[in-house]
Order: sequence, then structure tokens, then C-alpha cells
Amino acid sequence: MATANTDRFIVRAEIRSSGESVVSYGFDLTATSIFVVTEWNAAIGTQVELRLSFPKILDPVEVIARVADIRVAGEPGEQAGIKLVFDEAAGDVGARLVSLLERAHTPTPPDAPEGRPCRVLLVDDSWLIRDMFAYGTAKFFDRPWALAVDHAEDAEHAWGKLESSSYDLVIVDYFLPTEDGASLIARLRQDRRLSSTPIVAISVGGRDAREATLSAGADLFVDKPLVFRDLFNTLRILAERRGQARPAAERKAILVFDDSPFALALTRAALESAGFTVAIAADLSSFERQRVTFDPDLILVDVQMPEAFGDDVALTLRGWHGVQVPILLVSSLDQHELARRAQRAQVSGYVCKGAGMPELVRRCRELLEASP
Amino acid sequence: MDDLYARFLPQFVALARTRLATAITAATRPEAASTSTMVRELHTLAGEAGLLGLTGVVPLARECELKAKRWQAGQLEEGADGLVSALHELAQIIEQITVPG
Repeated sequence: MATANTDRFIVRAEIRSSGESVVSYGFDLTATSIFVVTEWNAAIGTQVELRLSFPKILDPVEVIARVADIRVAGEPGEQAGIKLVFDEAAGDVGARLVSLLERAHTPTPPDAPEGRPCRVLLVDDSWLIRDMFAYGTAKFFDRPWALAVDHAEDAEHAWGKLESSSYDLVIVDYFLPTEDGASLIARLRQDRRLSSTPIVAISVGGRDAREATLSAGADLFVDKPLVFRDLFNTLRILAERRGQARPAAERKAILVFDDSPFALALTRAALESAGFTVAIAADLSSFERQRVTFDPDLILVDVQMPEAFGDDVALTLRGWHGVQVPILLVSSLDQHELARRAQRAQVSGYVCKGAGMPELVRRCRELLEASP
Repeated sequence: MDDLYARFLPQFVALARTRLATAITAATRPEAASTSTMVRELHTLAGEAGLLGLTGVVPLARECELKAKRWQAGQLEEGADGLVSALHELAQIIEQITVPG
């Protein structure tokens, strides 16, 4: 029987056998076996087709396996499920899993460079669950800054955050005020920009919540009460994978501040298609919040906005807040006026909106490649 | 970028129509809309057109913005008629934009 250890993490597990199909999650993954949480009533020895995956961590692997053990629900945190042992012929699958496990077991060197944090949006109206995430980040992460958990108490607040920022993972409770989690997940999957975001659904709702969220497009459904150790180990691997797998240019984060929602949407689409991570802000309070939480590598600021002039914002960032990252003024002002304001504000440069989006993307790339 | 333009062009045209309608209202019925709103709408329109690479729209939108500023300051020699005429010319150019699909 699989026993708990300190390196458990969760993966999506899809089981097919004799026309039956079960989608759940598993942990206690080794090169030869996994424990899958399920109430599926299978006999020991039953052969199944097993597909394991987790977005950005484990590309789908398919393996033939057999039910080696059955566990009924026991102590808190001990879910009902089955232990599956992989077919001996699954050589290359075993090697891939070993590679994943080695990565999971390798502690991060204390002197590892501080990359961008893994950004997670937790959509849950329970303050206690939020506090548990905050506590878990400090407890389970050797480097707590490697995980940045943002919160939203309902679907509308979540949508606002999703529209203005980029997340590596979204965790959605099924039971939310006004709009349920499945509906939010369906909206995410239909949105062109957000559709590929990994989503973990969580709930006390059992089978109904699982079916609703998975059919809406969640990658994974995890029952409450959450076993935080499993979830945080998964997030830790996701955070480390994020830093290792993506080319440097992709990790560059750009914050765009403009009062025109159209200009924001267009700029974000262009920069994201060029491989950058982008957050947007349409007003000062949103900009200040994003600047702190998103920690951009480059800031683009429009000049003529209702609340403040962009060059004054830039000057304050440089002079008062000590912001060192490159800042570009982006405006439809004429070039001489824009150049004058850029010089006064001590920014890294300027781009006339009339020069078009390819020029803007080129300047962003140039500045980010030049910055450390 | 072509895919991007195709995706955003219809939205730009719809927004530009709204912005121009606001500007024309402010120029013809100053009691119904503020002139500073007009200036801001035209400035934003010029910027949005610039980002989309609509080189035929940007100069005229900028000209309309400058005229609006002068009119607001009481310094536009041709008066409201000159501004309204420029705004209608810009509206015509917007309507000539071919929206894909």
C-alpha cells in the first residue's frame, strides 16, 4: 500500500477500463506506481489504461496498469482510491516519470537566482482557505517568494484580475457567490487569451462538483478538505519548472498603463504573441497594485491620461520609488513633444503610437535584451 | 500582426464611430458634451489608430485634435464650422476602412 511521504504531488489521472472512464487525480507517484483518488469499484488485478498529466509539469503519458490495492476512506486526508502498478513494458514512461520525480526531489539551491514568482490566482470566498494558502506558501516553499498567490472572492473579481494580469495557475472553488466555479472555468476556456491557463478546481461538493468543473474544462479536480502538502508540492514543481523550461525572453514581464481599454487590449495581444508576459492597468490604483504584485521588467506608460500625465508618473517612479526597470513613454503626442517629456522624466525612451505595433514590440524587445 | 489587426479592426471602427459622434456633438451642441471630452476622445482615437498602423487616419485625427484644442481656447479662426468639417472628413475616412470578414 502506498504510504504518505513528504514529496507527494498531484497529477491528473484518467482511467479507462472495459468501457468505463474515470477522471480524477493521483499522488504518491513513483516510476512504477501511483495512488489514484477514486470511488471507482474495481477488483484487484483489473487492467486499466492510465493517462497521467499536469499542465506545464507533465506532458500526457499513457501506460497500461493494474489495480494492486484498494483503500477505503480513513483518517482525515486519507481518501478512498486505488493503487495502480504500471505494466513492466512501460519503459520510457518510467524514465519520464523518474525524471519528473528527480526534479521534484531535488531541493532548490539556496543561491539560485530569484526569477519571477509562479503566479497563482485562488478564487475562493473562504478567508480561512486563503490564510491556509498564505501559511502553506511560507511552510512548504524553501523560497516563499517563488510563489505569489493572488485572491478573488467571487467570479467577477476573479475575471477582473484575469483580464488585467497573467497567471500560471488558477485554483477555483466550485461553490462561489452569485456564479459557480464551473461557469467561471467555462468562461476561461472560451477566452482566447486565457484558454490555456492551467485550472485546478476544488470543492466539498464531491462527484457533482467534480463532474461540473471537469466538464467545464478544469484540468484537475481536488476534493476538500485539501491536502495542502500535495497541492503545494505540485505548485513548487510548477514554480521550478516555470523557471527552467521557458526561454529568457518569455519570462520578461511588461506592465502597460493606458487609459484606453482598446489600446491596452491591442498592446497586450501584440506583446503576448511576441512571447512576453503582460499585465495591464487603466487607472492609477490598478497600476500601483500591478506594479507591486506583478513586478514588471519593463513599464509602458501612456502620457495623456485623465488622472495623471504619464511622464509625471514615470518621474515619480524613478525619483520617489527608486524604480530601476526600463520605462517607455508611449503616446500619440508629436515626436518632439514626446522626446522632451521623455528626457524630463528620465525614462528609457519613447515610442510614438503612430509608429505602429511592430515598432513598439521591437523597442520592448530591445530594451529587455539590454537590461540585466 | 495581420491576424492581430483583423481581430482588432472591427472594434476600432466601432469605437472610432462613438468617439467621433461624441466629438461632433460637442462641436455642434457644446451644451450637450464637454469640449475637454472631445479633445480627449480625438487624442485617444489618434493613438488607437496609430497602434493599429492606420496611417491614413492618424494625421487627420491629430489635426482634428489640434483644431479642437484651438477651438476650445477660442483660437480657431474658421470657428466651429471648420472643426465640424474636419470631423466629418475623419468620419468618412473611418467609414472607408475595410473590416475583414
